[in-house]
Amino acid sequence: MTTTLTLTDQQRPDGTPVLVAEGEIDMSNVGEFRAAVDRAAGAGAGRLVVDLTAVDYLDSAGLAALFAHADRLELIAPPLLGPVLTVSGLADLATVHMA
Amino acid sequence: MGDADGAEPLELLFPGNGEMAERMRALDWAGTPMGDPAGWPASLRTACRICLTSRYPMFLWWGEDLRLLYNDAYLPLLGDKHPGLGKPGRQVWGEIWDVIGPMLRSVTETGQATWSEDLLLRMERHGYLEESYWTYSYSPLHDDDGRVRGVFTACNETTERVVGERRLAVLQDLGAQAGTARSVGEACRLVAGVLGRAQRDVPFAAVHLRDSGGEPVPAAVSPPGTSLRPLPQGPGDWPLERVLATGEPVAVDDVVPRFGRLPSGGWERPPTQAVVLPLPGETGTGPVGAIVLAVSAGRVLDDNYRAFLDLVARQTAALVNGAVAYEVQQRRAEELAELDRAKTAFFSNISHEFRTPLTLITGPLEELRGQLAGAGERVGEELEVIHRNALRMGKLVNTLLDFSRIEAGRMRAGFEPVDLAAVTTGLAGVFRSAVERVGLDFEVDCPALPEPVHIDRDMWEKVVLNLLSNALKFTFDGSIGVTLRAEDGQAVLRVSDTGVGVPRGELPRLFERFHRIENARARSNEGSGIGLAMVKELVGLHSGTITADSTEGEGTVFTVRLPFGTAHLPAGSVVRGAEPFPVSAADPYLQEALRWLPDGEEGEEGEDERGGTGRDEPVPPAPGTARARVLVADDNADMREYLRRILAPGYRVTTVADGRAALEAVRADAPDMVVSDVMMPRMDGLELVAALRADSRTASVPVLLLSARAGQEASIEGLEAGADDYLVKPFSAAELLARVRAAVKLSRLRNHHAQWRTALVDSLQEAFFVCDEEGAVVEINSAFTDVLGYGPEDLPYRPKHPWWPDEDTDSEAHRAIERAFAQVVGERKGSYVTPVRHRDGHRLWVYASFNEVRDPDTGRRMVVGTFRDVTAERLTAQRETALAALSVRLSEAGSVPEALRAALDELRGVWRAPRALAVTWDGPDRAPRPAAAVPGTAWGRPGDPVREAVDSLRGRNPLHPVATAEPAGIGITLEHPGGPLALWVEAGAERPFIGEDHTLLAVLGGYLGQTLQRVHVFEQQRETALALQRAILGPDRLPAGFAVRYEPAARPLEVGGDWYDTVELPDGRIGIVVGDCVGRGLEAATVMGQLRSACRALLLQLADPAQVLTALDRFAALIPGALCATVFCGVLDPSTGRLAYSSAGHPPGILTHPDGTTELLDQARSIPLAVRPGRPRPTGTRTMPPASVLLLYTDGLIERRSRPLHAGIAEASAAARRGRGADLEKLADDVRTGLEPAGGYDDDMALLLYRHPAPLEVAFPAESAQLARVRGALRDWLERLEAGPRLTQAVLVAVGEACANAIEHGHRHNPGRTVRLRAVAAADDLHLTVTDTGSWKPPRPEANAHRGRGLILIHALMDQVGIVTDETGTTVDMHVRITR
Repeated sequence: MTTTLTLTDQQRPDGTPVLVAEGEIDMSNVGEFRAAVDRAAGAGAGRLVVDLTAVDYLDSAGLAALFAHADRLELIAPPLLGPVLTVSGLADLATVHMA
Repeated sequence: MGDADGAEPLELLFPGNGEMAERMRALDWAGTPMGDPAGWPASLRTACRICLTSRYPMFLWWGEDLRLLYNDAYLPLLGDKHPGLGKPGRQVWGEIWDVIGPMLRSVTETGQATWSEDLLLRMERHGYLEESYWTYSYSPLHDDDGRVRGVFTACNETTERVVGERRLAVLQDLGAQAGTARSVGEACRLVAGVLGRAQRDVPFAAVHLRDSGGEPVPAAVSPPGTSLRPLPQGPGDWPLERVLATGEPVAVDDVVPRFGRLPSGGWERPPTQAVVLPLPGETGTGPVGAIVLAVSAGRVLDDNYRAFLDLVARQTAALVNGAVAYEVQQRRAEELAELDRAKTAFFSNISHEFRTPLTLITGPLEELRGQLAGAGERVGEELEVIHRNALRMGKLVNTLLDFSRIEAGRMRAGFEPVDLAAVTTGLAGVFRSAVERVGLDFEVDCPALPEPVHIDRDMWEKVVLNLLSNALKFTFDGSIGVTLRAEDGQAVLRVSDTGVGVPRGELPRLFERFHRIENARARSNEGSGIGLAMVKELVGLHSGTITADSTEGEGTVFTVRLPFGTAHLPAGSVVRGAEPFPVSAADPYLQEALRWLPDGEEGEEGEDERGGTGRDEPVPPAPGTARARVLVADDNADMREYLRRILAPGYRVTTVADGRAALEAVRADAPDMVVSDVMMPRMDGLELVAALRADSRTASVPVLLLSARAGQEASIEGLEAGADDYLVKPFSAAELLARVRAAVKLSRLRNHHAQWRTALVDSLQEAFFVCDEEGAVVEINSAFTDVLGYGPEDLPYRPKHPWWPDEDTDSEAHRAIERAFAQVVGERKGSYVTPVRHRDGHRLWVYASFNEVRDPDTGRRMVVGTFRDVTAERLTAQRETALAALSVRLSEAGSVPEALRAALDELRGVWRAPRALAVTWDGPDRAPRPAAAVPGTAWGRPGDPVREAVDSLRGRNPLHPVATAEPAGIGITLEHPGGPLALWVEAGAERPFIGEDHTLLAVLGGYLGQTLQRVHVFEQQRETALALQRAILGPDRLPAGFAVRYEPAARPLEVGGDWYDTVELPDGRIGIVVGDCVGRGLEAATVMGQLRSACRALLLQLADPAQVLTALDRFAALIPGALCATVFCGVLDPSTGRLAYSSAGHPPGILTHPDGTTELLDQARSIPLAVRPGRPRPTGTRTMPPASVLLLYTDGLIERRSRPLHAGIAEASAAARRGRGADLEKLADDVRTGLEPAGGYDDDMALLLYRHPAPLEVAFPAESAQLARVRGALRDWLERLEAGPRLTQAVLVAVGEACANAIEHGHRHNPGRTVRLRAVAAADDLHLTVTDTGSWKPPRPEANAHRGRGLILIHALMDQVGIVTDETGTTVDMHVRITR
């Protein structure tokens, strides 16, 4: 059983790339997630928005993928992920919008 | 400034505040010839100032008539001549002007100063003409014109020193006389002589000594010849009586009225005073006299003078006393010398008197010997005895006579030149046979000397024979040597022996007359102690010397040196031309020596000295009375024979030659009487008596002592030693017989009682003994000897007694007897059992009892005891005790190993053995291996000698004990279920194995063998039973989340009437049963087994508690004994916690919530089984809240006598409440032990616990793809626990990180290994454990940033985290508080 994860690339009207993730992110699928984040990041030089609203589980491997772009990262996260983002310190580097 | 014309104030001229300064200032100088001081010359004024300001005595003479000016320091010297200021010198010092006037004149005339030292001046300054001494100088004083006008004097009075030195000289003179006076008169004259030289201080002295009546008598006077008589009308004589009576000195101040003019001692005036002093005697006695010492008129009688006179008196007394002591000593020495002379004269006289009768004995005797040559053996023997003793007597008499001659200086020696070598060799030859007969070597080495030696033949003969006789007497083995040499102008004879030697301290007195060395071992105690003294005298008459060198125990050498030539001999004593002469005096010496030799060696008829029967007179005893037995001890064979002849007609006589032989003979077989000489070698008569009296067995044997030493003193000594009677040699036969008869009669009377007692004691069946206060056994009976093998002949037996077990090889037994002995010595009465060793070495046990008694004669504490041999009883008892102990131990053993362990422990205890082993050979390799060993003693490794020792037992006959040597021990083999078994017990260091131990081991081994068989059978049966029981008790494996406890009431059964069961139903639910059949033990267990099986089957089929119980009712109705069984039956859905249940008369289940509230599951209550079969049963349901605990139980848990059931339920609830936060197994223990009655559960008890939800246990391969599935299971479980979303997320992330770590690190190189997750919920605690079988690397954030982050997340999300890595793997242990 592999972990379910759906990744969708979107673009804001202003052209800002938005990566929408649904499901769970752990070490089994973090490669896929990292690739998607990197791809989205490569799409532009400005803000990178990752929408985690529909993510039920995010572990340190997933966090690592996000940390790589923390300075231009804008996260949309559900309250459930709040403690993880805070404890890892990502919330201090990136902009986090609680959904 | 002042000028010479006198403007100087008086204060300057006569300065100071002294008396003289004031007087000078106040004097009207103008009215004296000295004139106004203003007109004095400067020198006078200066001298005045010096004089007045000096503290040294000074004065000035001035002017024509030498007027005096003096200072304060001079005042005391002036005496009553002060004030003499300004007076003419002649007027002041009239009495000495004849001395000082010319001196002063010479100064004023010549201007030369004078110096006088210690000059005697007879002054009259204190009212009498005084002897005074001065040291001073007269210096001229010039006037301003340079003329001598005056004299300046600085002076010092030296009277005290001069007189003091003079007196000291007197005392020294007196002291120097000490020890010179030979008589009191001489001492007094010496004192008078000294005092005659000291008349300045003691013008007159008179010594008076007490006569024998105590009256004082004049003894000496100084000056010599002075005669004093009291004046007719005067106050009387010296107060001598008063002084002697009081011992105190008296001063006499009216000497002149008493006696007129006494000698003045060179002074102008006669003494007016005297002192009479006592002359103290030796310490503690009154004055021996008094001394009168006149006081010189020139000196006042001051303290110094008194002290001096007192010392004179003491010195005098010392001299007198010394003389008295000397006189006493002298007198004593003279008395002794006189006594000595008298003694010699006496011996001389008496010896002389002896010669006549002796001659009259020996003369006719010679004739008789001739005439009676054929008169029979007996007559011949007797004549021989008379002859020998007459010779001996003659020798003694002659020696004494010689001695007295020498003493009296009447010994006439006739010196003739002889070939000393030939003479000496001849003399030595006389002794050869005697010396060689006793087995000594006799070496005579006398080569011819270069010149003849002048000797008196008779004397030389005596010298040589005495020395040889002496050597033979004291030499028991080795040799006697005689050598003659010429050395340093002397002939030197040496007689040496290898005998007993002379103690160092005795050597100086060796040649003293009558001096005998006590206790020396000798062939005979005969002897007068005069031989060596005479030898010395005789050698002395030859102007020779004799010396002795000796080492005790090695031998003695006597060395005689005689000068060659004749110069040393008295004129006229040399005789010439003697014919070769025969050895004349040797016979007595030789005869005497031969009598010392043992009778056997002497070659005479043998005599049984010890046995006592050889010479017993063959007189048949009168019917009914045994003849009394007399033991005779005398070192003189003739005397022994003589006594035997006297006593033999009436007594059975045994003779021995000394005290020790006598003592041994008496101890072996006590006679009725002992007749003993006092002087004997080895042990004398007094020692014999003391030894006999000291031993209770011989204390009552009467002893008659015989001695040549007469006198009251000797007999008292004998009687004090304990002799019954005393006879002085010579004695008559009749007297001896009378004394012996009386003593024997008395002794028989006295002994009657003792013999009766002895007979009684000997007839005792029990061994009997008497100890003295030191614990020495002094008396025993025959039973004693029978038991221990030690007889009366070696009494007394002193501790440690020979029957004590050996301390080194059997210390335990030794300690036992030491304790017993301490009891005997220390307590008044008592009894004990102790091991002892028979004389032949075998071990015995005796039971002894003892009592303290007082010896009626001595009052000493004695102990009387009896004992008997209890070895057999003891061994039996020991065996029985050991067997009983073993059987008790074995009865508790439930298995063969247990039985063996118990047996070995017991064996080890019995022998206090360091090791005890049981060994079998039933392994596949047939090698010995321990079946059991006592804890703490290891079966040795290969090579340990124990292995070999024990292996040697293999194949031995069963139950035959075998001793092993290395290590020491005993072993035995016995039959054992698993083949032959060997037992081996190591010997304790303190307790060797003896025969009885072998028997004991055989008995114990036999019993053990039987027991092992029995236990083996039992064990097999029990194993069968247990297997069956386990089959009927309950499930082998409980579902997760359950815990159970079970206690059957009946042992050793492991089942009872109670049961529990869980049944996993096909739909995932779990059937739960707790039941209780009526009764207990095997019967109830069989019912239970059937109900349990039935219930289980029904649950699987029906899955509804009420229906199950209803069906069970019908089943139970068919089973006898199942009636009224109670059952709680439930069906639990572990995913939801929903519990459906029904109770057939069973106590309600208890549900404990996480917050501690408890509720009873009592809704579906109904009647017990089989009571109303067919009746429907209710169902209750309850959904268990998360983390709640269900407790089901049987009434054994809660039911107690005299306590309502609900109290027990409440107690169980409380226990569950208290433990709700704990691990379930711990909670089960807490409940079981918390409710356990003091003596354990007395009814069957079962309890079952379930906590909802059951712990989650997930095992998965270490692959990341598994993570989602694990999260899913955990999420489900958390849902059952009703965890909130935040807690759920936290747990998911923490567990997810731990699992990811396990996958990533632990198994990176070994993928596919298993990782385990376990989640357990207690009341409010969630316990999560992730375990893998790899090792974690310490996190390195820089290398794996997100892994480091993972750990941070775990720590941040969990309340408590522990990570333990060891060789088996890594465990992450996490706790978090449950929030919902």
